[in-house]
Amino acid sequence: MNEATLDADANDRMLLRRMATGDRVALSTLYHGYHGRLCRFLSRLTRRTDVIEEVVNDCFWIVWQKAGEFRGDSRVSTWIMGIAYRCGLKTLRLHGDEPVEDDALPEDRIPSTDPDEDRELRDWLAKGLDRLSADQRVVVELVYGVGHSLDDVATIMQCPVGTVKARLFHARVKLRNVLPALAGESKVLKESVS
Amino acid sequence: MTYPMDTGQDCLRAWEAMPWVLQESATPEQRAGLEQHLAHCASCRAEFEQQRRLRLALSLPTDLQLDAHAGLKHLMERIDAPEREQTPHRLRYGGWLTRGLVAAVVLQAIALGALGVKFLAADQAPAYHTLSQVSAPVAPGSIRVVPDTGMSLTDWNALLHSLRLQVVGGPNDVGAYTVAPTSSTVTTQQALQQLRAVRGIRLAEPIVSTP
Repeated sequence: MNEATLDADANDRMLLRRMATGDRVALSTLYHGYHGRLCRFLSRLTRRTDVIEEVVNDCFWIVWQKAGEFRGDSRVSTWIMGIAYRCGLKTLRLHGDEPVEDDALPEDRIPSTDPDEDRELRDWLAKGLDRLSADQRVVVELVYGVGHSLDDVATIMQCPVGTVKARLFHARVKLRNVLPALAGESKVLKESVS
Repeated sequence: MTYPMDTGQDCLRAWEAMPWVLQESATPEQRAGLEQHLAHCASCRAEFEQQRRLRLALSLPTDLQLDAHAGLKHLMERIDAPEREQTPHRLRYGGWLTRGLVAAVVLQAIALGALGVKFLAADQAPAYHTLSQVSAPVAPGSIRVVPDTGMSLTDWNALLHSLRLQVVGGPNDVGAYTVAPTSSTVTTQQALQQLRAVRGIRLAEPIVSTP
């Protein structure tokens, strides 16, 4: 764990302690600090913005209620991501629906300021992630996107480390087999557009 | 399924180290080992380059438009909402299972209520009387009569008819009837004397109302 991570965790712990005394400024700071990464994490489970908003709300409702009970067995970010993961699964189960496919998204959902290179990268990633199961997508996001260790991911997903290893391994093998071809596809598309 | 590497232990070690080197959480030995291996393995170099691109793509902010300020406002409203308003929020997503459970609980409550009423009604007539308990009102001039067990119904009816009496209560647990005159011309005292004179009557006593 590097120094920046340790500093960030110490800051999060301080915010939690303040939240335990009812400090809403601390809640606001923590909320804004996590909103982006939680939304991105949850977008690997569902593409529905209303569901993601609801899960983030549920997650921080629990964080607010349980701030005083945080024992510090893990990093705060691991604790919060675990809550978000469980809230996400529960909400999806209650809604009884599947994630909306990326193709079904209206064009205006994609920021117009997105540079072409980023858009190409997103398309490439989205097509690759489509080949993975939801559990594999979550593991890939937590390891590559958020930067969690295998132990952290096991804590978040409440499963053995061996299971996380297997999910990551299979996800990487699948991506290794499809991503080069997808990169070629997007290049061809780009050339044909220009 | 195609396995990642089939060339040897070094490639496998390199494959395993890649995510952690990209995360900057790998040990110095893992990092050095990977760098050495990549220097002479083109296949793993290509793989590592793809992993780097994957990490870059996963690090991009989400393309979904979600307003953090609006989300925080909703959260604050939820925190400020009275306790009773939390329940509908939770039930909103309860689905048929929650609604079914609620219906079952309501039915159980109704059934328990009905049983309770039934038991209460049964308890209204206890098997004992207290001195302070108000007795059921009896007609003025009523007499408590205990006929002999051997007396036939015909004789009993004939006796009551001749004395212008009628049964207004009983028989109770000890076989006593409450009889009252059918007309005001019959006095209790006369009826008592005549009843006591009949062979089949074991007891005849006036019912005196409690003060």
